[in-house]
Parts: sequence; structure tokens; C-alpha cells
Amino acid sequence: MRKYLIRFLISLSVACLIFSCNQYSHMRKIQSDESCVQKFKPDLNHVVYQTSVDVIGNHISGLLLIKYMPDSSTRIVFSNQMGVSFFDFGFLQNNRFKVYQIIPQMNKKALIKTLRKDFELVMFRNMDNRSCYALLDSNLIYHAYPQSKGINYYITDTPCRQLIKMQRASNKKPVMEAYLANDSINNTPDSISIRHLNFNFMISLKKIRPLAAE
Amino acid sequence: MIKTFTLAGLLLCCFYSRGQYPGYALLNHRESFNKSFTKAAADVESIQSAFSQEKYLTMLSEKIKSTGKFYYRQKDKLRMEYIQPYPYLLILNAGKIYIKDGQKENKLSASSNKIFQQVNRILLDCVGGKMLENPEFQSRIFESTGTFLVEFKPLTKNLSALYKNINIVIDKKDFTATAIEMFELSGDKTIIRFQNKELNAQIPDSVFNIP
Repeated sequence: MRKYLIRFLISLSVACLIFSCNQYSHMRKIQSDESCVQKFKPDLNHVVYQTSVDVIGNHISGLLLIKYMPDSSTRIVFSNQMGVSFFDFGFLQNNRFKVYQIIPQMNKKALIKTLRKDFELVMFRNMDNRSCYALLDSNLIYHAYPQSKGINYYITDTPCRQLIKMQRASNKKPVMEAYLANDSINNTPDSISIRHLNFNFMISLKKIRPLAAE
Repeated sequence: MIKTFTLAGLLLCCFYSRGQYPGYALLNHRESFNKSFTKAAADVESIQSAFSQEKYLTMLSEKIKSTGKFYYRQKDKLRMEYIQPYPYLLILNAGKIYIKDGQKENKLSASSNKIFQQVNRILLDCVGGKMLENPEFQSRIFESTGTFLVEFKPLTKNLSALYKNINIVIDKKDFTATAIEMFELSGDKTIIRFQNKELNAQIPDSVFNIP
């Protein structure tokens, strides 16, 4: 009898654990409104951000330039104050991605993949409207865009007046959260913050000024 | 026949070196330059100046400009105080590195970050006239009417991954650096230009103090 009781308790705990781990399971699926998220898409063209990256006790800082290219790709270049480029990434058409340059110290597959996914979320890329759906959580709507692995969530208030935050998530819980602080005049964020939840990794961007073309 | 080839080779080298840096010719006898440069570097106890920095992003047709104040004192003290586009302070003092980036302060020992150490050493050597002695580079010297241009090509793997070459433009009058040009493999380049240089001015210790 005691053996059955222990088995029952273990099963119950596992079930509870699984249930409680899934932070989206209590939300109700609702009709998605694709136009809601699109209106918050930031205009990141020709912007320079004062940027700091804190990763597992290491701090690097510099200037991050974002530019939309004539071929519809987006380039992101991050360099330190003295001009040394840390990386130069290209986000190409059809969700392709290219590393134009990266310093050997940062040339790690996992790091590049993480940075790619983080920036894709913030730039509102890989948003396939055919697969999107929405979840209602009391006064918030989670607009879900499934990715090849995991889901990108854009979280708005229910009337869709405000983008509260963005999340990259596994099927059960968020792994990263990002916030945009928009300026009042245009849609270029004054600041962007990216915070990973499963390890110590933070990226903070603060707008310096719009860049004039050469 | 051999003479013709040698002559053609020399002419080609000459055209190549002229073409590479317009207005400059390759200096084949560098002994007198080395002597003058080393002597002048030893005579310069300190430098303070304003600086402007431009990073050219070739593929993106963009440049990012910064300006600030620069201080150097023999042999290993340097302060770069960026004012624009935002305040950023870098102090090198006897192998220690201090960075103030907004509210964030960072103290590093030179050995803790090899790339950072190498880049800072380059800056210190460029200004202090020690770059010719740096075994991590091979150099060529070019001459124009008012300046010398010393081209440094990195020999080590770490630096070769960062830079194609680093050039120092040296004023013929006082043999001090007027500009440092850093060329990356991607074609991007960063140019730091020094303006209103003041040589051997009294710079207080506090300027280089690491808090």
C-alpha cells in the first residue's frame, strides 16, 4: 500500500511540475489579429546605439549601427569606441542570415545563434502570419509566432494600444525578454533591452542619434 | 636580361608603393628615419591634444564620428576621454586599464584581456614612438613632402584577425603622430587624428590616476 502511495505521490508531483512549468498553458487561445503587432514594428534604419553587453561576468561596450540596405537586408555592426569591430551581421531576405565579420573571441556558434535570434525578435523578423496565433492572459494578449525552434511572443494590452514586451520562449516558458522604449515622435526606439532568463546575459541599447547618409 | 627584369621589378615596386598611398614614396633607407624617430620619441615626455575619430564602414557607406581629449606621458600612461557621441573614458597606467562607460566602471589588468591589451599597447606604442620595436608587426616607411607614413602589418594570429594593417602618419617637423589609421580585414577603417598638440606640457598625475 505504501509503495502505491509513494508511486501516486511521485506521479502527482511530476504532473504538477509539468503543469506548473508550462507558463502558457493556462492562457486561452483567441482569434489572432495580425495587424496588431505590425503597428509596433520599430524603424531601426540608420540608428546608432550606445550598447553594452554583459555576459557571465564579462562586460563589453561600444556602438551598434543598424542599417537597412538597398537589397532589403539589414546590417548590424557592433564596434568598440576605438573602432575595433566586434561583429557585422546581415539579416537577409527569406530569413537567411550572414556573418560578415566577427572577432575570434566571439566566434562561437551558440553565441552567434543567440544574438541572431535575439535581434530577429527585436526587429520583428520571421513573422509568418499563416502560423501565428494569440493567447489571452487576463489583460494581456500573447501574439505567438512559431519559429523553427521555440516561439516568439509579442505581448500587447488587450485593446492593442501598447506593446508591453517581447519574449523568446521554448514551448513551455520564456528564455528571453526584450523591451522597447519608443520615442514619442517616430517609431525608432530610444532604448532596447534584452535580458536572458536562463543565464546571465543582458544587452542594453541606448539611442545616440539618427545617422545621416554619406 | 636579368638587369631588365630587375629594373622592371623595381619600377613596378615603385609604382605599387606610390599607388598604394598617393603622394607617398617608399623609403628604402630607413636608418636615418629610425634614428631621428627614436631620438624625437625620447625627447617627448608628454603629449596632450584634442582628437577626432572616424570609423568608416565601407560596405554600409557610413562613418561614425567621435571626438575627445588625449593625454600621454612617458612611458606607459595614456588617457583617452571621449566626449562625443557620448562620454567614455579610457586610462592606461602601468599595465592597468580603467574604463568608465556612462555610470559603469571597469578595472582590468592588462593581462586579463589579451586583445584589449594588444590594441591598447598599439595605441601607446604609436604615440610613444615604440611601434617600430614591436615584434608583432613588420613595417614599411613611406615619405611625402610634410609627413612620413609608417605601415605596420601584424604578424601574430590574434592581430591578423583584427587588422590588415595599421598606419601612423608622422609629422616631419617634430616626429610625432598626427594620425593613426587602422584598417580592418573587412575594408572598414578607423582614423584617429590629433589636433592642437602640445608637447612636453605639465600634465598632473591625477589625469592618469585610476580611482
